[in-house]
Amino acid sequence: MKSTPIAPLTALLLALLVTGCAQTPSQEASIEDRAAKATDPVAAEKAAAEKAAAEAAAQAAKSASAEVGNTAGATPADPGKVTTQALAAPEAEVKTLGGSGPVVLGPDGKPLPSGAAAGGAGAAAAGPILDPKNPASPLIQRRILFDYDSAAIRDEYRSLLEAHAQYLKQTKDAKAILQGHADERGSREYNLALGQRRSESVYKALNLLGVPDAQIEAVSLGEEKPVAEGHDEDAWKQNRRAEILYQGE
Amino acid sequence: MIRRLILIPFLFLAAFPALAAMTIEIVGGAANRIPVAILPFGVSGVEAVNPALVVASDLGRSGYFKLVEEGGAVSPAEPAGLVLATWKGKGADAVVMGQVLPAAGGKVEVRFWLFDAVRQTQLAALAYTTTPGGVRAVAHKIADLVHEKLLGEPGSYSGRIAYILKRNGRYELQVADADTQNAITVAASAEPLISPAWSPDGQRLAYVSFEDKKPVVYVQNLADGSRRAVARFRGSNSAPAWSPDGKRLAVTLSKDETSQIYLLNLDTGEATRFTRGGALDTEPVFSPDGRWLYFTSDRGGTPQIYKASLPEGQVSRVTFEGSYNVSPALSPDGKTLAFVHRRDGRFHVAAMDLANGQMQVLTDTTFDESPSFAANGRMLLYATLVNGRGVLATVSVDGRVRQRLSQSGDLREPAWEP
Repeated sequence: MKSTPIAPLTALLLALLVTGCAQTPSQEASIEDRAAKATDPVAAEKAAAEKAAAEAAAQAAKSASAEVGNTAGATPADPGKVTTQALAAPEAEVKTLGGSGPVVLGPDGKPLPSGAAAGGAGAAAAGPILDPKNPASPLIQRRILFDYDSAAIRDEYRSLLEAHAQYLKQTKDAKAILQGHADERGSREYNLALGQRRSESVYKALNLLGVPDAQIEAVSLGEEKPVAEGHDEDAWKQNRRAEILYQGE
Repeated sequence: MIRRLILIPFLFLAAFPALAAMTIEIVGGAANRIPVAILPFGVSGVEAVNPALVVASDLGRSGYFKLVEEGGAVSPAEPAGLVLATWKGKGADAVVMGQVLPAAGGKVEVRFWLFDAVRQTQLAALAYTTTPGGVRAVAHKIADLVHEKLLGEPGSYSGRIAYILKRNGRYELQVADADTQNAITVAASAEPLISPAWSPDGQRLAYVSFEDKKPVVYVQNLADGSRRAVARFRGSNSAPAWSPDGKRLAVTLSKDETSQIYLLNLDTGEATRFTRGGALDTEPVFSPDGRWLYFTSDRGGTPQIYKASLPEGQVSRVTFEGSYNVSPALSPDGKTLAFVHRRDGRFHVAAMDLANGQMQVLTDTTFDESPSFAANGRMLLYATLVNGRGVLATVSVDGRVRQRLSQSGDLREPAWEP
């Protein structure tokens, strides 16, 4: 990949990103909005029951009324795992969201089941294997680290981003969510914005490499999801990062 | 008018027994604490917490009062049975006594009296009717009143707080009394929850949930637990702040450009962009009069607090000292700005008098975050790290009285009910 003929061009494009302020798209549909679909019948039934309970509760509480639809078709009962409880009457125990919806991410956080076709394997041509699930593929590498207080992509990640861009371009139905992260120091919301800037750097890099807006979304998890738990620079430098997640992972 | 009591030299220092399961450490305190005797209330024919325990806990940890050992005495049935001279002799400037009695319909009546032991006068006498479960809330109100009668300004014991508790790998949004008792988990998730914000009427909480692999802003109705996603746009959605009329949220969205502030109409769901430019803008908060939006921005090269006029959006910079000032919070009267200020690599809660721009660092802890004003504007609640664990702490706006509220688990991002 280092010998890819487009490398000089992409190097130039990436260099432009250091001060980057390219446009990000204003499309209003999240690429993750269909993430949680009940595949397990028991979970589905439970989710349905909880959804019904939620609807009854919503009926009772007139003020909650209409769902504000930012994302077409998204319902509050959709993505699992969050439970809520009424404060005034705790014994009523209103659970709004599905308590045990299907987990989207693999149990170990590294979803690598070879059987689950995501639509990537089809276009395996000559050159590097472009399959995000194949451990032999460069696409298995998803993490991009950043310097302190910086969203600039280091040179060492060029070939990695080129590989992901190539895969996304040739696999039109593949979608990736780009998650930015920050270290733990300072305000959580400010760190969320810093992480956003990092994911946007990756977004712009992929965009300039020809990946359409519709296939990628830049988001931030701020300081909330460290990979290293320590409270020193060794941990912090691991946590200042962006991660590429493919849809369904 | 209420006057501060004349402080007399006292011979008996208070040694008050531990009252609650929660540990409270008082760090610092007012120079002259008022010695108060709080006699256990007479409780007959009712199953309820003794209000004296709650009142003593509230006043004792505030840093403004010194509790005088009551020595096993209990409240007499009527004030006539109270010998104020005895309590004055024990060093008390003021005495609280009361009774909890059964009332009609399964309710209870909480009676209480407050006396000035020096002048031998009655300062307050009130009766509350509540449910047995409501006695604790009444006791916090009594503490507020005692505080106000003796110090001339309102107490801040009866408000509720919301915060995020991380335990067993899960994130819980809890609502509790200001002393962290009566905690109830109102939302729980395996993924992070951050940035809880009370609606002005105290009936709803906005917060950010990561359950969908990205930050989405939810509003939850506390009465029935129902909730809805109010900002689930492409990109990140975070930092909710309520307008004073409760009809709009200021939020940070990244749907158009990097993190920018939008005003979200809660009835229509329409988000109107408010800040512009390639800089990062976040942590909006409305001034109580609704005329300004304060926020954090790195448009000047370092994160600083700015304010923008509403609705025009004319921006001016507010903080100048140091290279990191974030997380603005405004006092209920709009005159004081609290924020997190970094100095020598440490993050402290600081307060600024907006009339003259004078800034004061209030804490000596290292990893402070999320300052929030009590409804009386006199105390700030914030989170900090102690031995690597998140704890809640309060500090008076003059920085003189500090306390830590400890609870098991890892606590962060407290917000005091308006």
